[in-house]
Amino acid sequence: MKNKGAILLIIMSMILVLSGCGKSSNSSSGGEKSVLDAGAGENATELSYWTFVELHGQHFEKMLEKWNVANPDRQIKLNVTVMPYDDMHNKLSIALQTGVGAPDISDIELGKYPDFLAGTPQLESLNDVVEQYKESIVQSQLDLYSKEGTVYGLSTHVGATVAFYNTEILDEAGVNYKDIVTWDDFKKAGIQVYEKTGKYMGTADTSAVWQESLLLAQQGADLTDDSANPIVNSPEMIKALTMLKDLKDNNVISTIAGGQPDTEEAYGEYNAGNYVTAFMPLWQMSRYTNYMAELSGKIAIAPLPVFEKGMPRSYGGGGTATVVTKTAKDVQLAKEFIAYAKLSLDANIEIWNTLGFDPINMSVWDMKDVTHNPENQFVKYFVNNPFDVLNEVKDEIMLIKSTSASPTINNVLCTVTLNEIFEDGRDVTEALNAAQEQIVQDLK
Amino acid sequence: MLKKFLYSQKVAPYVFVLPFILVFIIFWLYPLGNSFGMSFQKTTLGQEAQWVGFDNYSKLMGDGIFLKAVTNSVIYMIMTLAILIPFPMLFAVLINNKFMWGREFFKSAFFFPALTSVVVAGTIFRLMFGEMEGSLINSFLGLFGMEPMKFLKGQFTGYIALIALATWRWTGVNMLYFLSGLKNIPDDYYEAASIDGASAFQKFTRITMPLLKPTTIYVLTISIYAGLAMFIESMMLWNGNNSPKNIGLTIVGYLYRQGIEKNNLGYAAAVGIVLLAITMIINLTQLAFSGMFKKED
Amino acid sequence: MNKNIALKIVLFIFFGIVGFLILVPFYAITIASFKPGADLIRNGLNLNFDLSAMSFDNFVFLFTGDHSYFTWFFNSVLLTIVQVTLTLFVSATVAYGFSAYEFKGKNLLFICVLLIMMVPFEILLLPLYTLTNNIGLMNSYSAIVLPGIASAATIFFFRQYLRGIPKEIISAGRVDGASEYGIYLKLILPVMKPSFAAMAILNGMNSWNNFLWPFMVLSSGNKFTLPIGLKTLLTPYGNNYDLLIVGSFFSIVPIFALFIAFQKYFIDGMTAGAVKG
Repeated sequence: MKNKGAILLIIMSMILVLSGCGKSSNSSSGGEKSVLDAGAGENATELSYWTFVELHGQHFEKMLEKWNVANPDRQIKLNVTVMPYDDMHNKLSIALQTGVGAPDISDIELGKYPDFLAGTPQLESLNDVVEQYKESIVQSQLDLYSKEGTVYGLSTHVGATVAFYNTEILDEAGVNYKDIVTWDDFKKAGIQVYEKTGKYMGTADTSAVWQESLLLAQQGADLTDDSANPIVNSPEMIKALTMLKDLKDNNVISTIAGGQPDTEEAYGEYNAGNYVTAFMPLWQMSRYTNYMAELSGKIAIAPLPVFEKGMPRSYGGGGTATVVTKTAKDVQLAKEFIAYAKLSLDANIEIWNTLGFDPINMSVWDMKDVTHNPENQFVKYFVNNPFDVLNEVKDEIMLIKSTSASPTINNVLCTVTLNEIFEDGRDVTEALNAAQEQIVQDLK
Repeated sequence: MLKKFLYSQKVAPYVFVLPFILVFIIFWLYPLGNSFGMSFQKTTLGQEAQWVGFDNYSKLMGDGIFLKAVTNSVIYMIMTLAILIPFPMLFAVLINNKFMWGREFFKSAFFFPALTSVVVAGTIFRLMFGEMEGSLINSFLGLFGMEPMKFLKGQFTGYIALIALATWRWTGVNMLYFLSGLKNIPDDYYEAASIDGASAFQKFTRITMPLLKPTTIYVLTISIYAGLAMFIESMMLWNGNNSPKNIGLTIVGYLYRQGIEKNNLGYAAAVGIVLLAITMIINLTQLAFSGMFKKED
Repeated sequence: MNKNIALKIVLFIFFGIVGFLILVPFYAITIASFKPGADLIRNGLNLNFDLSAMSFDNFVFLFTGDHSYFTWFFNSVLLTIVQVTLTLFVSATVAYGFSAYEFKGKNLLFICVLLIMMVPFEILLLPLYTLTNNIGLMNSYSAIVLPGIASAATIFFFRQYLRGIPKEIISAGRVDGASEYGIYLKLILPVMKPSFAAMAILNGMNSWNNFLWPFMVLSSGNKFTLPIGLKTLLTPYGNNYDLLIVGSFFSIVPIFALFIAFQKYFIDGMTAGAVKG
């Protein structure tokens, strides 16, 4: 008994010592929580900020340093908490509902955003702080996060969707990505790639609707009609999925671990060279540089293939809004800071430099010294310059509406319908009709 | 005066059990009543709740996803019962055998998994059952020349992963329960049976099994509860509450989805009440059948 | 005699195989903690033992890197100690009330104890959540400790244990002029020691691994416990797998150490929980 007590004592003291040293080494990054001082003095206001993307915190850190230098009497410390996507949005939703525990500033992803605008939004209007930047930014990106003329969230990027090709595999198969203009071209190339290399040309996504959205956008269609009713069994949608199904049946595309290119499993598959193409918004670039280092110098960016020549070759996909909550400590300070950190010209240049996103201040797109800076990690990584492609499709970037029905539509398509079509081989029309029925039922 | 009152033999017992009474009322009875009331309401963000009668319940009965969740939970429960009662019982009898080498070692080894949190265990199993060729289970199948499988995308294989996780974590625990039950069976019963020339199998069915009944009922009761209320296991295996085609959705998962993810507090409360009803009905029936309500002591 | 040896070997091999299967996942995560997270994502968890791909990098990162792992670790330790201490004391007190006295409503109350043991806590998640919020306990450890402070299973266990303690101790105490509370604190509690060890271990295990309720109640990162913290690492955005796996591995270590030191109590604690007829 004595002996055992001693062992317990040792273990306990070991634990306490361990936790002691943990406390001192608790600072920035690594995926969780950190307080960013960014040169703030003692009188700085501490604001809390939630996000589900660690990189966003890094961008804020850079902008915070500039802010604290420029506003010595209104300095800020930012307390960043990074949580997984679902958890962060759930916690935020509950906190806003109950009025307790919400951060001052938070990110909200486009797919979840409509839920936060339902009823009376528990978010602060940003109209006043947006005013001075209005001229320089894309109006549609403000509209995307507005309700009845009030802006509640500040967009991070345009998210122009492009095609990312692995040129190494294409060369091996004797395919030139520049020749791919239509989906027929893509299919032909894909068959050739599969025959020559045994690799898949692309993915059949089951857990995201990027592909459906871009195919609808190029046909001028949408997932909801003008009065926000779901129309997931529209002829355009059937055409889109029938085409994808045909690609899958011909071994051009295949389902991927993780269900879509923007998952950790999929990064691994791409990195291993098992898939050639990803059709993703431009922000996928940062996933390449961060998680697929082995593909450096092999990935080319190109406009999306289309059904018929002349159709628009891109659409703005995904997005994250930064909001200020009603319970924020210092509402005005928080608002001014996020406007500065996301809308100012400096911020937009930083958004490209640090995050590799296509900034919503389009004047940045024309700044050759910024976009073609040879020191930039994204410029270095890719075969061609992303902005050459962006400027080529500049006037073809369509939008898919974000409505109150969108979260439900996404949920049904991503958990049930796409799996049925691509994993179980269910008939496209049948699956989409069932989806439509389920969505209508859920929305009641 | 007050001191004398509090120290009297009549009042003291109430003081002793007071914490339980408080916890029971505040954290149990009140929320339960609240939940019951809420299940007849429709709640919308930022608005007064409305009374809607049995609407939530009738909607539940026609809700295919809810029925799917109930099916999943019930199948999971039945499968855990089918595995986690007979095998641990058998293991307990065998390990208790006097011919057993390394008894203490195996007891501990079997118990180890119960020490890991569901978060850690679920993550390990998610990665083991990954659809990549190199994941543990697929590389094992590869040894037999089988193609890699997408375990977490199919209904049947999804159940396998869930059951594997449950079996891994609970076999040792249930075995220990049965071992403690075995301790209470006097050795002379077996000796007497040996003298009468009973075979090992007869001893097991005639002595061990009947005398293990109280333990079995206990294990059965907590397993029914745990099976029907399973949620985190599924959440960890599918890295979220949205499994493909809802193959991993459980009743509590649906409660969480409606209540936390969709803010449908009233509807979620109805899900909770249905779960309570199912658990109580199954458990009370089971207890009645096994004669637990007969007067004892 | 030969037959017995054969039986021994068969039994040993059988349990060896089952034991091996049970230990495989531990082996897998132990190896994985020496491999880079990227490898894990690409290949899943496996048993490949490849020295060239293995290093102590993850452990170095665990102990020296910039992350909150040890904040969570410390929180978990603190919460576990507080929760176990309070729960044991309160539950033992209640159990003593049930076993030492006859009083009005005793049977009804004890049925309530049994009832709680049979009803899934999960159905109370939402109303408890609202309640916690209304009484201003959101994002506090009190919200985690209080609802479980009079744990039904623990009360039940202690009551079973107390039945085995002779009532004479109590009456002797009364003769000596001790108060009702004095009897409990000075005479009964010391006798209950062995059962405390068992329950401390069981409750400690539950508390250390508790996830759902703390996860719902806690919202700020500096209050997260280990399971919650580890779960925040499960996001595609960030190279978190390095920390996740080594962190998971390391979270098992202290509880294993405790288990091995107090194995006897662990197993007694578990087995004593089972109902006697």
